[in-house]
Amino acid sequence: MAIDRRTFLKMSGTGLLTYKVAGISMMLTPAQARSQGLSYQVLEPDEVENLELLGDALLPGAKKAGIAHFIDYQLKGSLRDTKLTVRFLSEVMPPYSQFYRQGLSALERVSLEKFKSTFKGLDSAKRRALIKAMASGEIENWEGPSASLFYFAVRADAVDVVYGMEEGFETLGVPYMAHLNPTKKW
Amino acid sequence: MANSPKIHEKVDVVVVGSGAAGSVMAAKLAQGGKSVVILEAGPEIKSEDMHSSQIWARRLKWGGSPVVEKGDQPIGHGFNAGWGTGGAATHHYGTWPRFHPEDFSIKRDHGKWLDWPFGYDELRPYYDRIQREVGLSGDAKAEIWRPAGDPYPMKPMPTFAQGRIITRGFEALGMTTAPTPLAINTEFYNNRPPCIWDGWCDAGCPIGALANPLQVYLPQAFKAGASIRHQSCVTRVLTNRTGSRVTGVEYMDQLGSPHVQPAESVVLAAFTIQNPRLLLASKSAKHPNGLANSSGLVGKYIQSHTAATVFGLFDENTENYLGVSTGQLINQDGYKQKQKKGGAFGSFQWTIGNAKKPNDLAGIANTRRDLFGDDLHRFMGRAAKGLASMTSVIEDAPVRENCVSLSGKKDKWGIPLAEVTHNAAPETYALWEHVKREGLEVMKAAEAKDIWLGGYGALHLAGGTIMGESVANSVTNSFGQAHDIPNLVMAGAGLFPTAGGVNTTYTIHAVSLRSAEHMIDRWSEISA
Repeated sequence: MAIDRRTFLKMSGTGLLTYKVAGISMMLTPAQARSQGLSYQVLEPDEVENLELLGDALLPGAKKAGIAHFIDYQLKGSLRDTKLTVRFLSEVMPPYSQFYRQGLSALERVSLEKFKSTFKGLDSAKRRALIKAMASGEIENWEGPSASLFYFAVRADAVDVVYGMEEGFETLGVPYMAHLNPTKKW
Repeated sequence: MANSPKIHEKVDVVVVGSGAAGSVMAAKLAQGGKSVVILEAGPEIKSEDMHSSQIWARRLKWGGSPVVEKGDQPIGHGFNAGWGTGGAATHHYGTWPRFHPEDFSIKRDHGKWLDWPFGYDELRPYYDRIQREVGLSGDAKAEIWRPAGDPYPMKPMPTFAQGRIITRGFEALGMTTAPTPLAINTEFYNNRPPCIWDGWCDAGCPIGALANPLQVYLPQAFKAGASIRHQSCVTRVLTNRTGSRVTGVEYMDQLGSPHVQPAESVVLAAFTIQNPRLLLASKSAKHPNGLANSSGLVGKYIQSHTAATVFGLFDENTENYLGVSTGQLINQDGYKQKQKKGGAFGSFQWTIGNAKKPNDLAGIANTRRDLFGDDLHRFMGRAAKGLASMTSVIEDAPVRENCVSLSGKKDKWGIPLAEVTHNAAPETYALWEHVKREGLEVMKAAEAKDIWLGGYGALHLAGGTIMGESVANSVTNSFGQAHDIPNLVMAGAGLFPTAGGVNTTYTIHAVSLRSAEHMIDRWSEISA
């Protein structure tokens, strides 16, 4: 993919994730990674699709903010490098890719059983009802990691990408006041 | 074919862990003329690694072998432990109140729980020296519950809008608040700058205003000749043939190569969970129940402060982004009288007006976990301006069955994982309920428009290698020396028979200073 120098410089200032774009290592935000259409390292396309749908239902804007890239990127690294909230959950043992995969798979199965529709095919009301049931932990036929934990973790990821960086602080009118901006390379 | 271990040159002391306890031990022992090597399991962390971001902050938290948690009150190891230079103290919040005299003699005074092998008066001079060396800020006069001690060397932190707003609730109920005693500079002290009150403490303080090991005791240790090896994960403590003395440790480096560090003595400062894990995993024919475990108490009496948090939404701008990750103020009205109504027992402290970021476990979004979608967006907009919070540190009953044991699962080095079981005692549950009720009353008196409670949280791990008078009731003596093995020393909150109702880092420093000086004084007895 061709990329000009100006675009490269503009993009690589405030990144969180390091990608190789046209042979050049760049630091990108999850939103930039998504807008550039960069490929995923761990998650399959259908998993990405449902993760983005779930993320947007949990916090509108999470899809555009790159929730799927944010999660995918962390899943390929070591435990120490993982910046996902899931690392705090004592109930969840690594590898965390299993947690996300099984959670997304359980979500899809429950959607089909309860509403006779894929998660993608649900209208917003049904999607909301499903998520509410997940959050409470009382959701029939859920087979996977704890539904409420999965809700908690993916919601936290959505909040990270929407509100956890400088742009998110700005939308809330909260001064960021960084000592060190999170722009360092890994 | 397994690699033969690289055998290093023998030192006087190998210190396992570079956190609060390990850094003090290393500094004092090196300054006392001992040759010291620190083995830190995690990576090197420098000040410039401490990015102001709650996402990046997670890299300072536990990144070692998973810890299996069981029981109805999990200890939150992943959040409370550290990983890398400075350990958990690198991301700690600098809240440094002293334990109170009544914390040391609960069994004697109330016929229950455990006693320390010394009292506050014994520890007081060490508290005083540590606060001079580190630099504490506070208002000893306003802190009416504070035990006897030297005045703080620095003025207290300012009170911002959030602190002022919640304080009116306390005052309306006839209760007292005082500036939080902090290991955070409010002016230049010992070549470290003052804080700029930006609330990023949890992400680590890169400017050195907050006293973490990178700022205070590790530089002293290195200046006195100590060295540190990072990504050096100790897998076993070694003994002589009779098992009567330790001879060093085995560890694995980041490439998976084995090493042996011989030493005259071993200081285990690997945090509350890893210390007993190592001892249990180091069992041998001479120590069939784990090293230094003739008491049967290695791993027992694990304690974790319960955190109760109360939130209020105000129409006023609480400026909750300002301040420190801990509270701007404290209240300890509920501390001295341990026996409370309704079967509640223990001490507690409020930390008032915690600086908030939008995300992460302690962030704004997580205060209302039930909200999602547009409801969450609306809440975030409102709470960013009007949220106020206070968090209580609640004493945990020392229960023998709350313990570290070895899991059937193993880590990549073949060492069994630590399994931690923690259930709260009925009196601790009752205390938690008592504290929550009080918190709701305060927030109501402060005239919050919406008030709610946070869920259960766990802070400050203690116990596991408790100190005491004899092998009948403890693993170590009052200096952390294992009863069974005189040149094996434990350091850290794992020594604490009870953990009080306040943050533990200051007491960890004071106890470690006392232990290190004892080691130097008694070196001829300790060394082989």
